[in-house]
Amino acid sequence: MKSRLFLMLALLALATPLFAAEGAAAGATNWVAITSGFAMAIASAGCALAQGKAVAAACEGMARNPGASAAIRFALILGLALIESLALYTLVIILVQVK
Amino acid sequence: MAEHESWLTALFNDHLAGLGQAALALVGAHAEPPQRPWANFIAMQIVVALVMVVLFALMRPKLSVDRPGRLQHVFEAVYDFIKSQVEDVGVHHGQKYVAWFGSLFLFILFANLLGIIPTFESPTMFPPVPLGCAMAAFFYFNIAGLREHGLLRYTAHFSGPVWWLAPVLFPIEIISTLARPLSLTIRLYANMYAGEQVTLAFLGIAPLAVPVVFMGLHVFVSFLQAYIFTLLTIVYVSGAVAHEH
Repeated sequence: MKSRLFLMLALLALATPLFAAEGAAAGATNWVAITSGFAMAIASAGCALAQGKAVAAACEGMARNPGASAAIRFALILGLALIESLALYTLVIILVQVK
Repeated sequence: MAEHESWLTALFNDHLAGLGQAALALVGAHAEPPQRPWANFIAMQIVVALVMVVLFALMRPKLSVDRPGRLQHVFEAVYDFIKSQVEDVGVHHGQKYVAWFGSLFLFILFANLLGIIPTFESPTMFPPVPLGCAMAAFFYFNIAGLREHGLLRYTAHFSGPVWWLAPVLFPIEIISTLARPLSLTIRLYANMYAGEQVTLAFLGIAPLAVPVVFMGLHVFVSFLQAYIFTLLTIVYVSGAVAHEH
């Protein structure tokens, strides 16, 4: 698990030419697009993990205490939207950078 | 980005180009093609505002305590919803803010939903519109806090609960307060823009029935994002007017 994480991070190091090649010449590799793919995938993965935890905790809370369903649902919706927005920040950066 | 003008914007540009140029000249800006100053999102926002005004103008004379009509039931439900959110979050003297929150909620909701209608676009799909809503919310909660506490005590409450943490906490609080309109803008803009792009992508792949699913998702996301925007504004106002008891 940890070695996979390090492998992914090492792959990200391939993106360093990105800083030099803002307007890449025709025929050169479009590093911006490649990095955008990885960045969005990582952001979505993190977002999905966090939202999964939030939903699991909410379901368990509602199962233990059905009377508090309304309050738990409120906190759940709020939390899900805030976590979602973190993945969306990555998407906006990509939309700004990718030509 | 959609450079292509919608039919409504073309109508504005054909007949009201002078008005648009005068309005832009008031703030010292000028349009890209100078003969066509109206942008798509401006025309769509005007549609949303007109829809809201007409809706409430139609409803107002028919308001009745004994025999409420259907529109009255619907908007009473909306009003109760906003009021219950304000009470859940626990805003100090929350009643005076409910009208503004309701207006914000309905504006963002109608703006989001306008994109479902063919040949119309959601104005919230373009960055200036969520930015405008977020700046309105930003000024609103700051002004509410300033009116409640006064300038000195309002800035003092950024320093946190204890005095010896103030030098650390003050810049953190200022930055996080300034980040609030940014996050509100990006959340609303990215949700609407991504929803449209996903629908367009599937329109290219499987144009027959699949995009309807994504338009349905867009409707759900419209409601959710309008609700989240309003809820976060309520939370910010409650933080700004809070009194330590």
